[in-house]
Amino acid sequence: MKRLLAATLAFAMAVSPAVPAMAEEAAQEPITLTVFRGDPGDQPAEDNKIYQKIKDEFGISFEFEFLAGDLDEKLGMMIAGEDYPDLFDGGNSADLLIQNGALINLLDYVSPEKTPRLWAHIEPQKARLISKDEDGNDVLYIIPNYGLADGEQIVNQVNGPAFFIQKQVLEWGGYPEIHTLNEYFDLLDRFIEANPTDENGTPYTGFDILCEDWRHFCLINPVQHLMGRPNDGEVLVDVNSGDFHTETFIDKPYAKPYYKKLNEEFHKGLISKDTFVMNYDQYIAALSSGTVLGMFDQTWDFNTATFALQDAKMYKNTYVALGLVYDPEYVDGQEIEEHYVNGSLPNVNRGFGISVNCECPERIVNMWEEMMSDEWQLLFNWGVEGEDYSVEDGRLVMTEEQYENTLNNNWKLHNKAEAFTQSSPKKQGYILDGDLAGNCWEVGNQPEIVFGQMNEYDKDFLAHYGYQKFADFVNPPIELAPYGEAWQIDYTPVDVAHQDFLDIQDKYLPELIMCEPDQFDALWDEFVEEITPSATEFGDFMWEAVKAEAAKVLKNE
Amino acid sequence: MSRITATNGAGAGTQNKKGFWSQLSRQRQLVIMSVPMLIYVLIFNYSPMWGWITAFQDYKPKSGIMGSKFVGLKNFQWLFGRDDFLNSVRNTLAMSVINLVLGTVAAIVLAILLNEVMHTFFKRTVQTVTYLPHFLSMVIVVGMAQNIFASNGPINSLLMNLHIIKEPLFFLGESKYFWWLVGIINVWKEVGWNTIIYIAAMTSIDPSLYEAAAIDGAGRFNRIRYITLPGIKSTFVILLIMNIGHLMEAGFEIQYLLGSSLVIDRSQTIDIFVLKYGISKQQYGVATAAGMFKSIVAIILLFAANTIAKKLNESTLI
Amino acid sequence: MKAAQKKRKAHHDRVFPTVNAIFLILLMFITLYPVLNTVAYSFNDGTDALRGNIGLWPRVFSLESYKSILSDKAVYQAAWISASKTVLITLLNLFWTSMLAYCLSRKEYVLRKFITVLMVLTMYVNAGMIPNYLLISRTLKLSNNYLVYIIPTMFSCFNMIVIRTYISNLPEALVESAKIDGAGDIRVFWQIIFPLCKPVLATVALFVAVGSWNSWFDTYLYCGGKKELYSLQYLLKMKLATTQASANAAKTTAEALQTLGQTTPITIRCAITVIATVPILIVYPFLQKYFVTGIALGSVKE
Repeated sequence: MKRLLAATLAFAMAVSPAVPAMAEEAAQEPITLTVFRGDPGDQPAEDNKIYQKIKDEFGISFEFEFLAGDLDEKLGMMIAGEDYPDLFDGGNSADLLIQNGALINLLDYVSPEKTPRLWAHIEPQKARLISKDEDGNDVLYIIPNYGLADGEQIVNQVNGPAFFIQKQVLEWGGYPEIHTLNEYFDLLDRFIEANPTDENGTPYTGFDILCEDWRHFCLINPVQHLMGRPNDGEVLVDVNSGDFHTETFIDKPYAKPYYKKLNEEFHKGLISKDTFVMNYDQYIAALSSGTVLGMFDQTWDFNTATFALQDAKMYKNTYVALGLVYDPEYVDGQEIEEHYVNGSLPNVNRGFGISVNCECPERIVNMWEEMMSDEWQLLFNWGVEGEDYSVEDGRLVMTEEQYENTLNNNWKLHNKAEAFTQSSPKKQGYILDGDLAGNCWEVGNQPEIVFGQMNEYDKDFLAHYGYQKFADFVNPPIELAPYGEAWQIDYTPVDVAHQDFLDIQDKYLPELIMCEPDQFDALWDEFVEEITPSATEFGDFMWEAVKAEAAKVLKNE
Repeated sequence: MSRITATNGAGAGTQNKKGFWSQLSRQRQLVIMSVPMLIYVLIFNYSPMWGWITAFQDYKPKSGIMGSKFVGLKNFQWLFGRDDFLNSVRNTLAMSVINLVLGTVAAIVLAILLNEVMHTFFKRTVQTVTYLPHFLSMVIVVGMAQNIFASNGPINSLLMNLHIIKEPLFFLGESKYFWWLVGIINVWKEVGWNTIIYIAAMTSIDPSLYEAAAIDGAGRFNRIRYITLPGIKSTFVILLIMNIGHLMEAGFEIQYLLGSSLVIDRSQTIDIFVLKYGISKQQYGVATAAGMFKSIVAIILLFAANTIAKKLNESTLI
Repeated sequence: MKAAQKKRKAHHDRVFPTVNAIFLILLMFITLYPVLNTVAYSFNDGTDALRGNIGLWPRVFSLESYKSILSDKAVYQAAWISASKTVLITLLNLFWTSMLAYCLSRKEYVLRKFITVLMVLTMYVNAGMIPNYLLISRTLKLSNNYLVYIIPTMFSCFNMIVIRTYISNLPEALVESAKIDGAGDIRVFWQIIFPLCKPVLATVALFVAVGSWNSWFDTYLYCGGKKELYSLQYLLKMKLATTQASANAAKTTAEALQTLGQTTPITIRCAITVIATVPILIVYPFLQKYFVTGIALGSVKE
């Protein structure tokens, strides 16, 4: 789960950057750094203009290796052989590198005096970023690649988890406000009764639940959100409890109504049993065909389906993200407040670290320091002025062609340095100072560009609700809790219990949804009994860890 | 069909008392031809065997073998204390046996049928076409199989149209079908490829035997029975012995792709178990222990099969 | 009565080939289906392919998947690496395995049992990935070196056994008579046995070549840091992984469309399969002719 969520964050944040050049410094002896990226990618073109500028400016070029197979396996080999590249992005398993002493402590080179820009960049979040090593020294191994943004948090759409529903269902229902579990399924039930098939006679599927491998979060995660919390992985944290009471939620009585509801809907025919054996491609095919009315998922996870639907101009079959909570009847009459979107979270320990084998750590850090200047950041994000973008009335703008270029993979290999910048420290959010203040660092967040893209159906759809953007269907972000998000916590010590915890859910939850209604209660009790030992072990560990993380952050602040 | 049996003319046999070294020196040409590869496997296959020590350690890559802590048999105890490991051993063996039986029978039958085809072009075409699925990745093949066996897929439609069943069968979600699905998919993908080796073996059958049989008036089935089958028998026996040694390997890709939580009781193999708890959780000691267990069982099976073959006067591997 | 039998037999001889041919044709359909389906997907528009349900013919024809793969010059370098290592490994394998197979088929050889056991066990014992990795990368220092493709894979016990089995099916008299004429084992092997083994050597060459051509793990473990040494399969695997990642990373349809350029993981995967398989298909008939038609052993028997 943890790595998945980290992936989410990385995906949600991976956006293209671009332009200009600058400063002179005594040219140093040219070197080539070996770079490992813990995710797949394309080799940049030889004539790439940004890498050329880096080479001219710093005398540094790069030899990239991207991940092709299994990350943990590859890292395991590299650690065993101590075959480390100079720059090392361990992707979602970077903790392994840190635990095995593969990375140097950046605090030897990063300080307010030596690297003022980098320091200013991490300073607001240093409580989260800097930790203690075994000897009690302050350590920072990786400056996060994403999540250290300036200015107000930008939320144009829900990129994370939500209950999704096809726009046509809301349209058919007269654009209702849907906030609770019952409202959601009632609408789906009514829609499918009135419209059993689409225009081509293909039957609609009411609600799909993808259970394949690590994507089983579609099955096991919703309860925490129904209880009013953003994504903490597999635990529910009570942020108001003073000691951050943390527990696994799936085995608790408040999880039961959700699966009971799914069981009812299964017997009404809204859910098909094939959903439990569906693989990802089949799921995407089903969504892309426009016949799946709703599901719980994360936006990025079914991107390709959205993209296929839009390509076919089936806008009414695309999805809206809804933030559902339990109806009061399920939780002793409580009114639950909805929070699907969390405050922005630095991508702790994700990005480049410098390996212990690197011979010129200081030079790299100094390069990053230089690159945190507005000129370099603009170059990385927007490109070369006049060539890739222009400035009009203090606004950064792109022509349609320029914008399309920034999205074109082949063009990017020649004109962007993503293989390097994606893992490097960077500015995000709003430009705060200078002539360009108020623009967004990232092209994809610039309002002119975001809203210039929207199709007529969507504009009309939003107009019926009186909303500006699709993120308005959910509440604005809440303040990030001191411990961050619980899925970021390293649970290696209880790995085995955690695996059992997941396996038991994977096995029982589909059975619970499919069983005869009169057997549900008995099966639920059996499930709880079976899962309690591993859930308790995992939950207790997580509680301690959440408390410790919160204490660390609160103390450092 | 009788083959000229070895009569050990000038060879060993008669001189076995002459002492090992003098024999060896007389066979120096054989030594020259075989020892390089002996050294080769010692380096590439046997020298890394020190890695088995990690089965008795809480191995950490950072500390290496020298620095990691010895934990005795703890890794083995952990493995055998887990029901799902034992379950995965059962699944592995069951799927291997099904694969071996279905795979071998299908390959031999196809090889014989091909051998009976007189038309060379047709023979080569069939042979080429049937081996092609071997090159498809498992992802593609399993994806296709999932569509074919879906509740609303062609197999269910066919069975319902023939009135063999009333309700669609949930092939992919009921664990009782799982092993057989794996067997069928494997045969579908590999039958042509597996046939190649038998077809090649048939080339060593002397065509004059068929001619003689034809003159004697032997029918087609007798020719197959008394000439073709004996001609590939040693290949069959040797492959069988080797594959019996491989019964602990049922692969993991197909099970991983085709399986779901509904059928995990039948789909988890040893390799999947090791992947799940060993490599991806950095429990290298456990992974090695499981690998060692597999090797030991494999060797026992291998020698058992070899001994039985010897008792039955068949070709042997060793 | 005899006539009746004869008649039945004649009848049999017409029925069997017909039934056999029909069966084999059916089998061809069953095995061809997944192949043609893959080809159809590879020529289909990527976005459209996401909807699935493509049969034997593309629904929306497109060459984009092939274009996106073949437009990368690195593919040709990688194809050269793959082809050259495949040829080298195949030749080395044939040489070493057949020679050893001959030795181990000689019943009088005093080291026969010892070597056989050691060889056979290599198929069943595996030290594990880390020790193997350390041997190759640390002890032998073969990382980022072309030789890492060749040296660790130039021998295979399985193939050796296959050849040995074949050799032991050959008439022993061939060897005996040559030895009586004074030939040593090296000469017997090269001049008599090796040429007779063509069918099995062709088979083994096929196994080895296909294995080598399709391997990517060696690049992944040992040559990932050196893009000049990427093998074709590794590069293709990387392309697929990248397509998958960018499909997930794209935030907007426009971005997805541009990034992926009308290709999606589904069509890329199929195009990759086709690209990697076509060379094998081209080479195959040259090997096939050795093992689909038997060699005339009779002529050399005397």
